[in-house]
Amino acid sequence: MLRFFRRNFAGYAFLSPWLIGFFLLAIGPILASLYLSFTKYNVVRPPQWIGLDNYFYMFQMDQRFWKALQVTFSFVVISVPLKLIFALGVAMALDKGIRAIGWYRALFYLPSILGGSIAVAILWRQLFNYDGVINSILRLFGGDGPYWLSDPKYSLWTLIVLAIWQFGSPMLIFLAGLRAIPQELYEAAEIDAAGPVRKFFAITVPLLAPVIFFNLVLQMIEAFKSFSGAFIISGGTGAPLDSLLFFTVYLYNEAFSFLRMGYASALAWVLLLIIALFTAIAFWTSKYWVHYENERG
Amino acid sequence: MSKFNRRQFLHTSAGFAGSVAVMSAFGRPAFAQDTAVRHFWWGNPERDKRTFAVIDIYNGKTPGVVVSGETLGFADYFTKLTTQIAGGNMPDVIQQGYGVLFEYIANGAVVPLDDYVGKSLDISKMDQSAIDAGTVGGKFYALSIGANSHMAVFNTRLFEEAGVKPGETFDPFAYTYDELKEFAAAIKEATGVAGTDDNTADYQNFSDFTVQKGANLYNEDGSYGPTQEIVEEYWSTWAGIRDAGGTPPGPESAALAGVAELSQLGVVTGKSAMSYLWSNQLVGVQGLMQDVLGAAVYPNTPAMIPGSVIQPSQFVCLTRDSGNPEAATAYMSAFVNDLDMTAVLGLERGIPSNSEVRAALEPNLSPAEKVSVEFFDRIQGKTAPLTAPPPSGSAEVEQTFERLAVSVLLGERSIPEVATDFLNQAKAILARA
Repeated sequence: MLRFFRRNFAGYAFLSPWLIGFFLLAIGPILASLYLSFTKYNVVRPPQWIGLDNYFYMFQMDQRFWKALQVTFSFVVISVPLKLIFALGVAMALDKGIRAIGWYRALFYLPSILGGSIAVAILWRQLFNYDGVINSILRLFGGDGPYWLSDPKYSLWTLIVLAIWQFGSPMLIFLAGLRAIPQELYEAAEIDAAGPVRKFFAITVPLLAPVIFFNLVLQMIEAFKSFSGAFIISGGTGAPLDSLLFFTVYLYNEAFSFLRMGYASALAWVLLLIIALFTAIAFWTSKYWVHYENERG
Repeated sequence: MSKFNRRQFLHTSAGFAGSVAVMSAFGRPAFAQDTAVRHFWWGNPERDKRTFAVIDIYNGKTPGVVVSGETLGFADYFTKLTTQIAGGNMPDVIQQGYGVLFEYIANGAVVPLDDYVGKSLDISKMDQSAIDAGTVGGKFYALSIGANSHMAVFNTRLFEEAGVKPGETFDPFAYTYDELKEFAAAIKEATGVAGTDDNTADYQNFSDFTVQKGANLYNEDGSYGPTQEIVEEYWSTWAGIRDAGGTPPGPESAALAGVAELSQLGVVTGKSAMSYLWSNQLVGVQGLMQDVLGAAVYPNTPAMIPGSVIQPSQFVCLTRDSGNPEAATAYMSAFVNDLDMTAVLGLERGIPSNSEVRAALEPNLSPAEKVSVEFFDRIQGKTAPLTAPPPSGSAEVEQTFERLAVSVLLGERSIPEVATDFLNQAKAILARA
């Protein structure tokens, strides 16, 4: 035990800001929310133990719970792959050795810094308004843009585009991964007359697989937890017609609009389990498509 | 360009309110022996400006007491208040509305004022009706800071341009939905601006309509009042006005379902000539626009059964977390009685419930406030009796109405189908609450 710590001391030292924060600030509320998820609690009165009732209600009675799951899954399934493809595309373009690459990297990373903020969500709402910038541009070309935000057919897509726009952090990681691929592999492939598509699928993708996997897991978790964009654009309710009822928005609504803190806690734990499940599935499938260079096999 | 001006206006007034806030926070240092009283309200730029000014007046008059103000928009106010209740650090004095007040009393977050009446709290000049409205189970909890009713506001310039003349071609205090349809379409024809906001998703108008139809929003036993026929007729009525071209297009109105921001009202954004609100909001809305607003009641059915009520717009209440209830109630007392302070507050929160204050305000009213007072005089005796406050779960029913009305606005499902869906959901919500 002692040897273990001595050997890994540096690692734990680097982890310490997170560890201290977790044990001092996070673990208490986490356990409290687990307890509250078995209670009826409206904040003003003390919580009342009701066993598994919240969970029964959720799965058996609550239509909005299922709607929230559906919206969240659609968002994750569509936005994550598109974002990764976009990030990889930009990373490959930047990998070509462009001048002033540092500037481009910073420039492309900028949306990710701004992305989660309320200000950007408000900006997004202005852009996609019926009288907004997007429709004004469409009108210049003679088109008549739809009601992006108030038509449930389009509203989720505006948020998917917002998510893709925040491609900065997976892009940076892809860029680092691309740099690590030995150039001689490409040169050898060229000698064998492989085209760019062949090179991409035969060299880039397999060698980048660990990085793709890492980005996939991270972005998936991020997408499940996505909140501020949907909250702002839907006015906090998931409108129109619950098409933006992200799981987190529903949770917030139950907690703070209707003061069902116990039920909201139960929702939070279900979300945690869903994320854990999907992460586990991703890890399990990775055996079949992710190969690490230092793996012996 | 008018849009830009409005935004600029908002910025400057918010900046002004902010700097007043900073002044009141730092301008007078709070010494250890000073008693601190926190006052929390939901507001708008106009209200915040006035309230911070009133706090400064009070602080100037009462050495040893330092009142500090906190404000948020309506949507965030109750979220913040909830977390403060959970944390046991509610401000001493909070603002409450007629609808939600009773939940807070039932939960014990708001405490009775009876012990302070006649001592630190003077209610001798208050209207009896206002005192009654703040009394629950024989105990007095809530000090009314203004009376209120439903009001339609219209852009007088656009109405004039279309030849719709209040008092001649249109009676602002008695007109039917059919007449509304006619003149709204005429305004659109003449000015290019839709004659009225579309109230398909407006719960306030729906509740009015329900009473006009001889029902109540909630029955005596707490069950939901509107019937399938009423819901269908309400949505069909507005669909008729929309189809006649009297409102902005359905999807545009859908985007505003449930939005409570005054700056998003059709009269303010210039998308329509008539919007619907609480009468006390007239002053705030007029502050956001150039054209002069006129006041009218909500539209009615030909039977002309009154649908709107007069009720306290807002109360100030004492919370259970107050560390110094004497100082807090003394401040509350001044907030409704002190003539210097009420002169600044004006009618922004509604018509004051103190007769002396009303008389003192009369000569110095702004034009918008005059419209407001005239409106109140005209509707006396033409309103519905005040009903019992809504049961818990009502906020969720309201949100459900707004959500489902969107599918009516978008024409996705038939009105009878959505109406059935809504009533089923309302029933389930009330059963669960």
